[in-house]
Amino acid sequence: MRRTAALLLRHSVGGGAGGIPQALADALVCPLSKKPLRYCESSGSLVSDAVGVSFPIVDGIPCLVPKDGKLLDHDQEKAEDGSTKDSSYNQ
Amino acid sequence: MAALTAAIPSAPGPAARRRGVAAVRCCSSSAADERQALFSRIAPVYDHLNDVLSLGQHRTWKRICVSWSRAKRGDRVLDLCCGSGDLAFLLSQKVGLDGQVMAVDFSSQQLQTAASRQDQRWKPCHKNIKWIEGDALDLPFVDCYFDAVTVGYGLRNVVDKPKAMREIFRVLKPGSRASILDFNKSSSLFTTSLQSWMIDNVVVPLASGYGLTEEYKYLKSSILQYLTGKELEELAKEAGFSAAKHYELGGGLMGDLERCDQNQTPEIKSGTVKYQHAGNI
Repeated sequence: MRRTAALLLRHSVGGGAGGIPQALADALVCPLSKKPLRYCESSGSLVSDAVGVSFPIVDGIPCLVPKDGKLLDHDQEKAEDGSTKDSSYNQ
Repeated sequence: MAALTAAIPSAPGPAARRRGVAAVRCCSSSAADERQALFSRIAPVYDHLNDVLSLGQHRTWKRICVSWSRAKRGDRVLDLCCGSGDLAFLLSQKVGLDGQVMAVDFSSQQLQTAASRQDQRWKPCHKNIKWIEGDALDLPFVDCYFDAVTVGYGLRNVVDKPKAMREIFRVLKPGSRASILDFNKSSSLFTTSLQSWMIDNVVVPLASGYGLTEEYKYLKSSILQYLTGKELEELAKEAGFSAAKHYELGGGLMGDLERCDQNQTPEIKSGTVKYQHAGNI
């Protein structure tokens, strides 16, 4: 119970992109391209548009190991590009 | 223990930032995967074994490592290969609520342990730590972001050490420093023999009580494949640090490498690398 509450708190603290702490939003980039990441609310992941890869967030911890990235298929990528829910994670 | 400090020109190399998508699947070697799995397996008993095997001394060495990073209140700092978070918690106290600590490890299990420890701590400053699963060879941070970087018992386990050092350099601000703590690969036959004897007759037998015999046998081979103080100094300079110095501590079993302050200019970065001989894998 306590653990869950702590995780929720971590998700909500900071008011950064998509509930991610602002401190992370300022610092993080795609590990492969070093380009900005975009938070995708629908999948709860961080998307690197530069290389078309999505990185998961597990229990509030961004998983940015390159091999854990998932290639976005073209249609999915286009849909996410057009989504108004997504927020720019790092400019 | 040993420590190394180095200063390097700050201009990040022109290496292409954009890599092909294929890199997503091929950037991690099988050796890296095996090490990642190893550290995930030992995560549940990692802290306890560190205390037992080093007789608690690893805490002192980690405090020294943080001190040599010269992290101060309000700084943004990176703890690379953070494991269960020992160095990150020490750094959070140094930088305070005004500062930030980013803690990176490639083992999700180690990070979950670290996050649980964070939940159990009461000091407000401990809330300034952000845990990130990442690879030391492909850091997910913007250039020139951090005021200091620490690495505790991590560089030895990285497959491509020159690349890891270049990444550390890239994310450091000009004039900042890195402090890297690890086992010392001594050039002294006596020290090497003593180290080897301790691993075979103390570390591995104790670890076998936890069913981790093979995992801790890795310690010996990893030290053999590591770099000596001189080699580490060269590695730091090749990565771009303007100066680097390695110090052995603890009768040659540990060491320290320090940077040259006179080389610090806005065009220079510096780093400290520390190596120590016992306690962690």
